[in-house]
Amino acid sequence: MEEVTWVEVLSRHREVAARLRFTGAEIRIGRAYDNDVVLDDPYVAPRHLLIRRDPSGALVAEDLGSANGLYADRGRTRLPRIVLDGERPIRIGHTLLRVRAASQPVAPERIEADQRRRWPLPVALGATVLGIEALSLWLGQVAEPRAARYMEPLLALAVAATGWSTIWALIARIFSTQAHFERHLTIALSGLLVYSLYDEVADFATYSFVSPYLSLYKYVGMWAVVGAVCFFHLREINPTRLRLKAGATIALAAGAIAFQTLSQSEFGGGDRLVYSRHLMPPELRLTPVETEDDFFSAVEQLKGKLEADRKEELP
Amino acid sequence: MRPKQVWLIVALLSALGIACASASLQAQTVPQTVDQQPSPSSSAEQIYAAARPRLLQIRTLVAAAGRQSSIGSGFLVSSGGLAITNYHVVSQFALEPATYRLEYAAADGSRGRLQLLAIDLANDLAVVRLEGHDLPHFDFEERALNGSMPKGERLYSMGNPLDLGFTIVEGTYNGLVDRSYGERVHFSGALNPGMSGGPTVTGDGRVAGINVAKQQGGELVSFLVPARFATALLERAEGVSPPGPTELRAEIGRQFMAWQAGLYRAVAERGFTLSSFGPYAAPESAAPWFTCWAQTNADQVPKPRVSSETTNCYGDTQLFIANDLSTGHIRVTHSYFRSLALNEFQFASFLSQQFIPSFTQSYARKWLTGQRCEENFVRAAAPEERPPLRVMWCARAYRAFEGVYDVWVLTLTQDRSDEALVSRLVMQGVTFDNALALTKRFLEAVQWKK
Repeated sequence: MEEVTWVEVLSRHREVAARLRFTGAEIRIGRAYDNDVVLDDPYVAPRHLLIRRDPSGALVAEDLGSANGLYADRGRTRLPRIVLDGERPIRIGHTLLRVRAASQPVAPERIEADQRRRWPLPVALGATVLGIEALSLWLGQVAEPRAARYMEPLLALAVAATGWSTIWALIARIFSTQAHFERHLTIALSGLLVYSLYDEVADFATYSFVSPYLSLYKYVGMWAVVGAVCFFHLREINPTRLRLKAGATIALAAGAIAFQTLSQSEFGGGDRLVYSRHLMPPELRLTPVETEDDFFSAVEQLKGKLEADRKEELP
Repeated sequence: MRPKQVWLIVALLSALGIACASASLQAQTVPQTVDQQPSPSSSAEQIYAAARPRLLQIRTLVAAAGRQSSIGSGFLVSSGGLAITNYHVVSQFALEPATYRLEYAAADGSRGRLQLLAIDLANDLAVVRLEGHDLPHFDFEERALNGSMPKGERLYSMGNPLDLGFTIVEGTYNGLVDRSYGERVHFSGALNPGMSGGPTVTGDGRVAGINVAKQQGGELVSFLVPARFATALLERAEGVSPPGPTELRAEIGRQFMAWQAGLYRAVAERGFTLSSFGPYAAPESAAPWFTCWAQTNADQVPKPRVSSETTNCYGDTQLFIANDLSTGHIRVTHSYFRSLALNEFQFASFLSQQFIPSFTQSYARKWLTGQRCEENFVRAAAPEERPPLRVMWCARAYRAFEGVYDVWVLTLTQDRSDEALVSRLVMQGVTFDNALALTKRFLEAVQWKK
């Protein structure tokens, strides 16, 4: 019985650029025209590689004495001989190759999702985000109501979300084959929804629990959401190396938080006034009203802090 | 709004604009119709001729450069070389004796060093000494010392305005200023920057007061320090040796402390009166040196969405410490807001814009630390009479003077969602304990109308 062997030449993004079927016992690969697979890569020797079966029947790649050698995928060690498993590509010169036997197992058939079903989710998310934003604009409205006061921020929000998703879709189109705009839009809108809910809750808690530092450090939550959104975009483009991607987005968010904390602490020579900037209707108070004496003993604590500030050397 | 007093000191080039403007304003003498008096211009002539050798220009020089940094006036009061001027004329030297030095220039062109002997921060006076003996000098007017001078008496003010040369100006005595915490004589005459510390004398050349300030935006509204404070300070300065650099600053701190202690004792003694704002009653100081102004938006077009009534009361209690540090203000502001077209969230957003901490004086990092605040929901005792409040209490400390703070208190009633009273109490240059005591009384006085 004849064994069928497939040789796949991979692109830099590991998509199959060429797939060749062989039935012989040996396959020769190189730049010269007497090979079975002829590669135009100038870093490949005229007679570079031999693929054959070893006595146990496994496929093996052997270096035929090239100057640049044979490597396993991203490996740095030059190998004279590699046993092929059908998954891990090998590298000669600048070319990636993958050799597979006919018995290579393949993934089960993916179930086709209904293309039309993908749009209701981003549309619903978008409507929710705009709705929350419109509501918060309305509740913050103290002057004469004008349509422009609502239209401008809502339009800006819509343009920003669409622009952001378009950029990610373009990146996805470059690095994988599909743009999946609606999926990136879903991710961006989910992030916006989480942030706007967080924003409202933080303002409410600042008033209700008298914790001005909560709204002062609101940006921490914002950068965490931005980091998470970036991570999900990256995962959508290509669900490989997730740990690296998670690490990179966490580093990005942490860097942004550190930078903003630094610039905030230097604002006005480090004397930023911390107080609750958003008041709410009195019914939303959740903490008990303090007695006068408790409040004044808290005020007394300021004395020591101010005394320390006073002794601080000025630059 | 708040009228502003300006001190009559010339510093840097700020005088240039005023100098040009004042060049066209010639002093005109009104023909005197009252009999039995010499004509005013001839009497001014005699007064000036007698006073000329007794007048001084007082210069603060940057020690390293030897150039003037600010100028004012002064006058000799003893044959031994003691002279009176304003504290604010010598404040740079008093606070930074290593950087500045004091000099005088007399009308005959002679110059020399000055020693600073004593200061009176509260009344803005200082005693300096120059080397010399058997010097001609001014005497004080007895009627000014015992307060029996009649309103309308003609006075003559002297000094060196804008470094243009010694000048004599005619004006009238108008008694003590009403509604002023510190005693000030209201002098209707043209005082100009540079005349600070110069004498204002009666028709027979005796000192009735010391030039100190004028009203910005007023015409010929000027102020003098009553002569009795100068004689009191002179007694203290007699025979003392000039204090050292650290002693001076410590003395300023002591006087600052004593001044605020007196002020807050007086405020506490006078107590509060209650004014009504919608369903609330709120405290205003009963002290006579407070002036209140009210404001409403009822006549605003387009129709306001929140009606507002604001009362702003401030005490005429300022204290000069340095060119860039004026303190001592007390202010009480109440604003009553009622929603006309806003829902409760919108009304809360509106109140957020009113519930903002701010000092009247800009933040001077050299003198003051950053502000620190404490806020919470607070209810004073007897909850059946008082609404719960949202209170913000903020303070900043004076770097150079231990134990003194600028404090402001902001309260917001929290019993209704469609109307509220925002109250503000500002205290500048106050000890922590005095500020706390007044805040307590203030909080306890914000209540429901009976």
